[in-house]
Amino acid sequence: MSINRVRRWATAGAGFALALSLAACGGNVGAGSSDEAKFPGKSPITILVGQDPGGSTDLIARALAEQVSGDLGVPVTVENKPGANGALAAKELAGEKADGHTLMVYNGSLAYITPLAVAPGQAPDIANYEIVTGISQDDYVLVTAPKSGFKTVDDLAKAGRQITFGTTGVGTGSQLSQELLFAQADIDAKAVPFDGGSPTLTAVLGGQVDVGSIQLGEAIEQIKAGKLTPIVTFAEKRPSYLPDTPTAVEAGHDVPVQQSRAIFAPKGTPKEVIDALRASFQKAFQADAYQKFNEDNQLTPNEVDGEELRKQWTGNLDKYRGVIQKYSINLGGAK
Amino acid sequence: MDFAPVLDGFGVVLEPTNLLYCLIGVVIGMLIGVLPGLGPAATIAILLPVTFGIEPVTAIIMLAGIFYGAQYGGTITSVLLKLPGEASSVVTVFDGHAMARQGRAGSALGIAAVGSFIGGTVSIIALTLVAPLVAGFALDFGPPEYTALALLGILLVSTVSSGGRLKALIAACVGLLLATVGRDSFTGAERFTFDNLSLADGLDFVPIAMGLFGLGEILYNLEERHRAVQAPTAVANVWPSRRDLREASGAIGRGSVLGFVLGILPGGGATLSSLAAYALEKRRSKNPERFGKGAIEGVAAPETANNAAATSSFIPLLTLGIPANATMAVIFGALLIQGVSPGPQLVSQEPELFWGVVNSMYIGNILLLIMSIPLVGLFVKILRVRATILAPITVLITLVGVYTVNNDVFDIVLVIVFGALGYLMKKSGFDPGPLVLAFVLGSLLEDSLRRSLLIFDGDATGFFTRPISGTLLVVFLLVALLPPIRAALRHRRAVPDPDTASHDTTKELV
Repeated sequence: MSINRVRRWATAGAGFALALSLAACGGNVGAGSSDEAKFPGKSPITILVGQDPGGSTDLIARALAEQVSGDLGVPVTVENKPGANGALAAKELAGEKADGHTLMVYNGSLAYITPLAVAPGQAPDIANYEIVTGISQDDYVLVTAPKSGFKTVDDLAKAGRQITFGTTGVGTGSQLSQELLFAQADIDAKAVPFDGGSPTLTAVLGGQVDVGSIQLGEAIEQIKAGKLTPIVTFAEKRPSYLPDTPTAVEAGHDVPVQQSRAIFAPKGTPKEVIDALRASFQKAFQADAYQKFNEDNQLTPNEVDGEELRKQWTGNLDKYRGVIQKYSINLGGAK
Repeated sequence: MDFAPVLDGFGVVLEPTNLLYCLIGVVIGMLIGVLPGLGPAATIAILLPVTFGIEPVTAIIMLAGIFYGAQYGGTITSVLLKLPGEASSVVTVFDGHAMARQGRAGSALGIAAVGSFIGGTVSIIALTLVAPLVAGFALDFGPPEYTALALLGILLVSTVSSGGRLKALIAACVGLLLATVGRDSFTGAERFTFDNLSLADGLDFVPIAMGLFGLGEILYNLEERHRAVQAPTAVANVWPSRRDLREASGAIGRGSVLGFVLGILPGGGATLSSLAAYALEKRRSKNPERFGKGAIEGVAAPETANNAAATSSFIPLLTLGIPANATMAVIFGALLIQGVSPGPQLVSQEPELFWGVVNSMYIGNILLLIMSIPLVGLFVKILRVRATILAPITVLITLVGVYTVNNDVFDIVLVIVFGALGYLMKKSGFDPGPLVLAFVLGSLLEDSLRRSLLIFDGDATGFFTRPISGTLLVVFLLVALLPPIRAALRHRRAVPDPDTASHDTTKELV
């Protein structure tokens, strides 16, 4: 090869690198200047999601991003940073600039269940974030395979052996709901943690575990098809999507556990930015496409403002801390 | 069997985007097949970030195309230049290059293309019939079964890997160890994270595969002396004659079956099956002395078998979620990136993806047949691209690519670290394959084992009371214990009669 050709390639490579770095700088400059203009200016908004693409949290974020992007007139992208039930994404959010251009769909379980399962300081504290708005709630349902023969909580109590129950992971609502139920009903039961809703569902379907607590939206198809028997739901009142199944409260056990989701922003985000965002999300909640999305996924709207949501979640944390101490339940192994 | 989803799968394949990516995949496969050095596992690993933005089915169609396309491409340089483009085409060199020297290069390439096509197609049909059967057992596969499968998979890959069993086992153990990094999903405790947030969720598969296979291989190849390749400009008459086809038909038939069976086995795959098919033909032949001197069966059999195996190695991945070899491990990673977890549920839950990918292989094989026969001269020209140009471009693509997956600079650091590790491993005779595979299966193994023990209430004998896990564990013990026992027996026999022992080993090699 001639030296000339080498040089040509080297130049091309350097040019490419230069173009890349210029493009990167361009993005930063744009973000800097828009701060002074009225929110949201021209730079895009990123919504962090602490779960894998395709899961319910991710789907919710994408359904909202589409609406909000149309309203604010800037691109709104969803970025998945899965890990540690969203703690990774939450830590990243805390380090972002508080300008309203980075948001996160925060899972309630991370706020009021994870802190009870992991060592102190390992779970993020919601006091360190601004809350834009609540989104919706998702109910858990206790299911079993029809061939197990279990139909009610009493059937489980009379089984005369240890019950195995599948959970969607340590420190999730799935685990807490069942731990509380079995402790209150005085049923000898052992948790088997799986990695998310779908594997838990499969394990229950295959009879690998006796029962499992799964989010309603994930289990509804199999329930309708008759492949899963719903025993109780852990909602406060019967969800409209499953009118014939009693709640655990009706069955005499005080264990309402729900998954809840909200939009979080970094601490110190200016009030007018939060208000602008909240107004835009409120518009998104009213859109027909979004309401149909909620229905399709069995989600109950919980579109309260930031202060109300903080009260709900802090209340949940205190309440759950109380009951797990009362029944000496140990959610995690590492303390 | 319900054929409606199979037919729907054709609908998926015939979408223009999917056809285009299928074409892109097989062209890339042919190219890297021709180029010695960069194998399909490395290429797929490097291209993982590209698949991030496209539909899962489209992405996997392309990656699968690279894999089986490489089996076609590897033949070309084996025949023309005595330079196997892929490990699975090494045996093709013996008779393929001999044929080329006799002026029958065209016939050799033609029969290899036809054989590859037939082997691939037979394997797809068998895959179509077998996969739903396996998936029928889906719900019987609980944690104990996965524990046994993962154990068996790691062991089999380690035993048949190139570069010595002990080294392979060491590499596999390192892989298992790496899989323990991150937050323990059962207790929430952090392991080996050194308070680093990027490690809290464990090491990511993509940078490890890209480092070990991609960067490691590039670095290793840079050391080889770059000889100026004299590519022949023209290859006359690539269509195999009627006589060639008649002579090779038996070899193609046997190669298809052998390749299919060996491809399913964990650790099997294209390389092993091409060796086995060549050995089988040589042993069956009435005049084995023709082999190595231009016997057409010696080209047809291994080329058919490696393609059949490349296709059938998708079976354990798509039906059980257990990758059978290193390339499948990388495709496993690609599926996970897309939010699809391969397993027994895949056929029923994602029929479009499953049948789309399977049926795309028909199209891909037809495209490859077209490219292999009339366009062979074009691909030979690729050999003129120098490594000095190719290597820096590939490194750049790798590093930019890995960043785009998670937008995390830490991943770039990981690629470089694992690139260096991969290079050192290759230099000291360790195959990185078992490491990557054990890493992929490691968390499955650990989680399933702990889940099983919870279900069994801590009683390990529970594994043997369930039919599927019990059978798998017995197979595991057989595979683990047989070689040392056989070696011990042979050693004892070898003392009185050293001649037979040495004779045995040579026979086993080919």
